[in-house]
Amino acid sequence: MAKRERIAVTGLGLVTSLGFGRERSFTRLCAGERGIGEVSLFDTSGLKSRIAAEVRGLDVGAIAPHAEAGDWSRSDALAFVAAREALAQAAHREGSALGLALGGTTGGMYETERALAAIGPGRSTPQDVRRLLDFPLAVTVERLARALGNVGPSATVCSACSSGAVAIALGASWLLSGRANRVLAGGVDGLCQLTFTGFSALGAVDPEPSRPFDVGRAGLTLGEGAGFLVLELESSARARGVPILAFLSGWAVASEAHHVTHPEPSGERAARVLSDAMAVAGLSSAEIDYVNAHGTGTIQNDAMEARALQRVFAADVGRVWVSSSKAQIGHTLGAAGAIEAAITALSVNRGVLPPTAGLERPEVPELRHVRGANQGARLRAALSSSFGFGGACAVLAFEAPDAKPRALPHARSGEVVISGAASYGPAGVLRGAESARYLIEGEVFAAPSLEPLSLLDAERSRRFGRASALVVATAEGALRDAQREPAETGFVVGSAFGDVERSVRFLQKVLGQGPKFASPAEFPQLVASTGSGNASIYLGLTGPCLSVSEFATSGQSAVSVAISLLELGLAPAVLAGAAEARDSVVDTVLGGDGTRSEGGGFVVLEQLSSALSRGQSPRAVVAEHRALRGAPERAFAALPDPPRRACVVAGFLPSAIAGSLRRSRWADVRLVSLPAVLGQHEAIGATALAVATSEVASGAAEQALVITADVDTLYLTRLCRYETQP
Amino acid sequence: MDQTELKSRIKRALLEELDLRGRSEADIDDAAPLFGEGLGLDSLDALQLAMAIEERFGVSVPEGEASRAIFASVNAIAEHITRAKAG
Repeated sequence: MAKRERIAVTGLGLVTSLGFGRERSFTRLCAGERGIGEVSLFDTSGLKSRIAAEVRGLDVGAIAPHAEAGDWSRSDALAFVAAREALAQAAHREGSALGLALGGTTGGMYETERALAAIGPGRSTPQDVRRLLDFPLAVTVERLARALGNVGPSATVCSACSSGAVAIALGASWLLSGRANRVLAGGVDGLCQLTFTGFSALGAVDPEPSRPFDVGRAGLTLGEGAGFLVLELESSARARGVPILAFLSGWAVASEAHHVTHPEPSGERAARVLSDAMAVAGLSSAEIDYVNAHGTGTIQNDAMEARALQRVFAADVGRVWVSSSKAQIGHTLGAAGAIEAAITALSVNRGVLPPTAGLERPEVPELRHVRGANQGARLRAALSSSFGFGGACAVLAFEAPDAKPRALPHARSGEVVISGAASYGPAGVLRGAESARYLIEGEVFAAPSLEPLSLLDAERSRRFGRASALVVATAEGALRDAQREPAETGFVVGSAFGDVERSVRFLQKVLGQGPKFASPAEFPQLVASTGSGNASIYLGLTGPCLSVSEFATSGQSAVSVAISLLELGLAPAVLAGAAEARDSVVDTVLGGDGTRSEGGGFVVLEQLSSALSRGQSPRAVVAEHRALRGAPERAFAALPDPPRRACVVAGFLPSAIAGSLRRSRWADVRLVSLPAVLGQHEAIGATALAVATSEVASGAAEQALVITADVDTLYLTRLCRYETQP
Repeated sequence: MDQTELKSRIKRALLEELDLRGRSEADIDDAAPLFGEGLGLDSLDALQLAMAIEERFGVSVPEGEASRAIFASVNAIAEHITRAKAG
């Protein structure tokens, strides 16, 4: 087994309700202060809880670059402030190469809600409706990338309340695989009515400030903020001479596949994720001195988490300090995993423990709760836990900067293959080589008439929207084609805008009839990670399951992220792709020319050794998969000569990119532009990947090139037949 | 409102609000338990049902233990609505 270098944390940035900046946030946190008060951002009358951990005095216009001042959301601004602080501490020179991994759940939902409230009934103009699509989750990364310069790779990930932690694990993967030399990884979430009324409808909100781990706890307190870490390999930090604040030593991401809102009560999966993170770090439980718990303050989470900690530390549990920061800075949802990772890193760096505020009568007195303010302790290593909706678990392990170096094993990842594929289009779900029929010249396909929900078990797919049904049905097809068991399999789904129509309906009811008519069962279907949560539970996938967002290249971004999860060894196989359903709001804004349709594609990406060990012959080999910002000419120039039988399958192909292709060695290869065959939708690039896999799997092509682009990013994926691989 | 009509409206609310696809009013027995065994509903369904009854019938449902008795069956829901409307 190969060895790996340690990952150094060289920068930390925080914005919380306790203050702008890590010093102010951490000092007040350790002092036991609480940044919780009456919500000022929107009307909360009629709700049982009217408090939150709001970031006061956020001047978005003053933080945003002048030219974009009117376009930035509160989340954009929160993220930018924390990002700048972390980069400054790491002595990052503006314009140096930087990977950017961001976790979040709501993006600019607050601004979307203001736009929706401004639309009067029956008199909406196209401009009004367009405003509803101005703040998708992926926008923050675009804005930060423009403001920071020279960003790549980048990704926006959502795994509900573990999003921020997953973004940090993704950053670690990029460093270890050499995809990036320095990474800015973190999370952001701003308060909004969707989450505020949604959690309230679930009865999950305490009217008083939350009391994690207390017998009298009655739910969470929502919060907002941002947290970022600058990560680089130890050798890079030493060479640059920047101080190492802490080591990011371990990580683990997995799913419970249990329930959309309830954690699996035994804590068995959570305990496994805690243990896995220690194993990656090469740490034993006896070396862990502190756990910064997820500790939301809900009845179910805290009980489950206490059980998980008792499982992991057994008789030693009374030695390990435990605290939750959420009673002071609120539950910051997609940002929590990153904010609390930064807090954990600061704790080990300084040897100070943040307490659990509001904890008077611990439900599990066996745990060693941090109760007093400013408590010092020598902390060798600490864990930061995140357990999100849909059973999305992530744990990170940090060590003090003076930790002794030791050999860290790291399985070098081998060749990545596609062991199964499926597309969704006019012909329904097509598996394996079947999708190649979309490449037959002259065939005309009618608009899809199939009801995707009819493909799923009615009881287990209750409340799935059309988009979730498409995602799950297509992913199930790919999994079956790969003949793979769902256990330990991961899942990454790209989503451009989310279920806009359904979110708008939910919000219109809240704005029109009042917040008490927020639908509790609808809310969990409206978060950005709905697709991955539903798929994990429906299909029984227990590997890392998450959603990614990157406009019309979301499916391609999902493939990039899935490959990174494989490279990090988080799963032997990961389902990756995207599927989009018709959506009245999206169609109103983008459907002017009548070519809008729906569909998508999924592939099972697997380590070659894993596929072969279970007797599965790969459908195709992923020879290259690249995301390119700007200057595509070079990427096309670097393509090898095409074999005799080859094809190019394009999702969205802008004319400039088509020009680059015509000047490349692949100029004379047969090109099929899928939107011309199947119509236009945001997952057409994912369809293209499944169709190209099909063409290679059937033997019709020895190699296939998949091209799709959007905004500033072009994706290029080259697939080869397994046998012809040199 | 007559009881048959009321129970029919309750069943429609159940089918729509809880997204019980592939089932019809005829599949729901007036006296059968809705949670646990019965239709296999969970606490998320209970929250949705409480909100829907307030929205559709203008009758609020108390939280916690009390709601469990009200959601015992279609008959019990009908009784709660009738009593609340009369009071």
